[in-house]
Amino acid sequence: MSTFSERLHAVWSRLTLRRRVALAFALVSVIVAGLLATVTWNLASSYLVAQREQSATRQASVNALLVGEALRSGTTTSLDDLLTGIAGGPDTTIALRRAGTWTTSGRQVDLDALPTQLRNLARDGVAVRQRTVAGGVPVVVVALPLSDGRAVYVELFPLLELDRTLRFLSAVLLAGVAVSGVLGFGLGGWAGRRALRPLSELTAAASRVAAGDLRARLPLGGDAELAPLAATFNDTVDALERRVLRDVRFAGDVSHELRSPLTTMINAVAVLRRRSADMPPTAVQAVALLDGDVRRFRRMVTDLLEISRGDAAIDGHDLEPCDVHDVVAHAAAERDIGPNVEVLGGTRLVMADRRRLDRVVGNLLDNARNHGGGVTRVAVVDRDRWVRVEVEDAGPGVPPLQRERIFERFTRGDMAGRRDEESGTGLGLALVAQHVELHHGRVWVEDRLGGGARFVVELPGIDP
Amino acid sequence: MTEPVHRIVDGDRTSVLLVDDDTRIRQALGLALDDEGFAVEAAASGEQALEHLREGTADVVLLDLMLPGIDGLAVCRTLRARGDLPIIIVSARSDSSDVIEGLEAGADDYVTKPLDAAELAARIRALLRRRRPASGEVHRRFVLGDVEVLPEEGVVRKSGAEVHLTRTEFRLFVELISAAGRVVTREALLQRVWGYDYLGDTRLLDVHVRRLRRKVETDPDDPVLVLTVRGAGYKVAPG
Repeated sequence: MSTFSERLHAVWSRLTLRRRVALAFALVSVIVAGLLATVTWNLASSYLVAQREQSATRQASVNALLVGEALRSGTTTSLDDLLTGIAGGPDTTIALRRAGTWTTSGRQVDLDALPTQLRNLARDGVAVRQRTVAGGVPVVVVALPLSDGRAVYVELFPLLELDRTLRFLSAVLLAGVAVSGVLGFGLGGWAGRRALRPLSELTAAASRVAAGDLRARLPLGGDAELAPLAATFNDTVDALERRVLRDVRFAGDVSHELRSPLTTMINAVAVLRRRSADMPPTAVQAVALLDGDVRRFRRMVTDLLEISRGDAAIDGHDLEPCDVHDVVAHAAAERDIGPNVEVLGGTRLVMADRRRLDRVVGNLLDNARNHGGGVTRVAVVDRDRWVRVEVEDAGPGVPPLQRERIFERFTRGDMAGRRDEESGTGLGLALVAQHVELHHGRVWVEDRLGGGARFVVELPGIDP
Repeated sequence: MTEPVHRIVDGDRTSVLLVDDDTRIRQALGLALDDEGFAVEAAASGEQALEHLREGTADVVLLDLMLPGIDGLAVCRTLRARGDLPIIIVSARSDSSDVIEGLEAGADDYVTKPLDAAELAARIRALLRRRRPASGEVHRRFVLGDVEVLPEEGVVRKSGAEVHLTRTEFRLFVELISAAGRVVTREALLQRVWGYDYLGDTRLLDVHVRRLRRKVETDPDDPVLVLTVRGAGYKVAPG
């Protein structure tokens, strides 16, 4: 028993709240409707049966009186006629017991099949009435001793009509219970949905925030009971947004402040580099070091500025139809990715900020060259309504656990600690992810058949 | 008032006026540009720059936007009102709105810091190449609606009245009009007019087209001469 209730509890708690509310509503309406139906059934059936029994008794009394008269007058033939006349139709059965024998008329039934108690009481001269089934038909049996005390008059009234009425009534009541159960379930579902709508809105808003949309807010004008929740949620997201923006702005501000000293450094180093022929070898080496790191510093500041500015949506002015293949081919040609690599595919158009798209493709190619042992294949292909850029490399591939992290800022994977000139800024793939997202596209990395990584950028295509 | 970084005796060298309030940038960029073969004069403020240009000349102005006193945009507008002296804005601001504002103020090019003298030199040379159209060509004459263009004379007339274009606007117009109604891609225009190898700043092109339309179109908002070909580039109305 306990295991059953435990299992029931387990099933119940697995159901959604809305389903549970709906079920509870259904259960309550079935119980209420069932109670009402039972009471109705009881009242109606007992009333109808009582009515029928009373009328049967009254009719039997009248008939018994007639038969008694006939017996006293003594003519057998007229008695038979009388019995036939009383029986009237094929449904009613009349039986008269006189001196131990039965005379019957009307529908023939086996009188011995009548309940023994009834027969005994009737034989003993007691007036009785009982409902029973005779010859497969529900009947009410009325047995009346005749006035001389030696004969018993028995009449069987068929209850077919009453039976049909009661059957119909019960069908109607059962249907009513079923319908109210269904209505209760529906009402419960609807009420649950209505009551839970703020929760669904909260869920939707929370998942938008989780997906990075910090502008998601809940409407405040709703139910007074739910307003504090909405306000708290909005405050939390406000705070989060402020903080994220502050962080981003800080990175941007720092980078911005670095522009001027960096300009000085770059140009001062350029002046030095130009004079390296006149310098002692040590100084030449030092200038080369300085030059390399100033360049890297510059790339990092440029990337940081771009990434900190990037969370602003793309300016509509900057969007234009771009041929992805053209962009990829240019980027590949600019980088000299290798004589054996050609850019596969043909013209594929997307709406894009060409500068950002160029950056996306360039960063993927740079990444393959710097971390993936070189580009092995570049392709621009169609996937339904999407345009894909696939960049494959000859490296060790990206382990599954790293595949999300690799697109975060300053994730350097196995490059950690290595900081030569080719190691990049740690922002390249993060910029790719950010730019692709701004274009409503997707980027991911997967294994290439035969080893190596395949970076895939998917952008919504447009018709030429 | 101006602060000479290097005394230039050689009159053949291209003279550059570097306007920046940051002393260290003035010095470092000045040295590096000198290495690139330019005669560099420097000014620390908009007032200094304007005064310098009233007294003397420069072949090109490198203008920072954030200046004490008169700001860079105002200097740019003033210089543009005076004539078509080539102006390159050299700014730390890289937002679209800043770039567009700077170009609308009349600058010929817009580059962002950090940058090195070699890049700047390439931009200056491209700009000055625009200033000196190759001589000795056959004298051509184009007519486009009510506009007449004489490339070699550097003259544009609209309904008979001369229209004053900056050299950059003029080169852009000539590139378009020489294509005789064929589409010229953005890349081609950026390459031919500004010397960008592949992808220049398309805002540079778009703002210049806007400036050009304001001068040659009867209704700049409904251009009939210089037409945009969406996704491809620009062309002039054929015929």
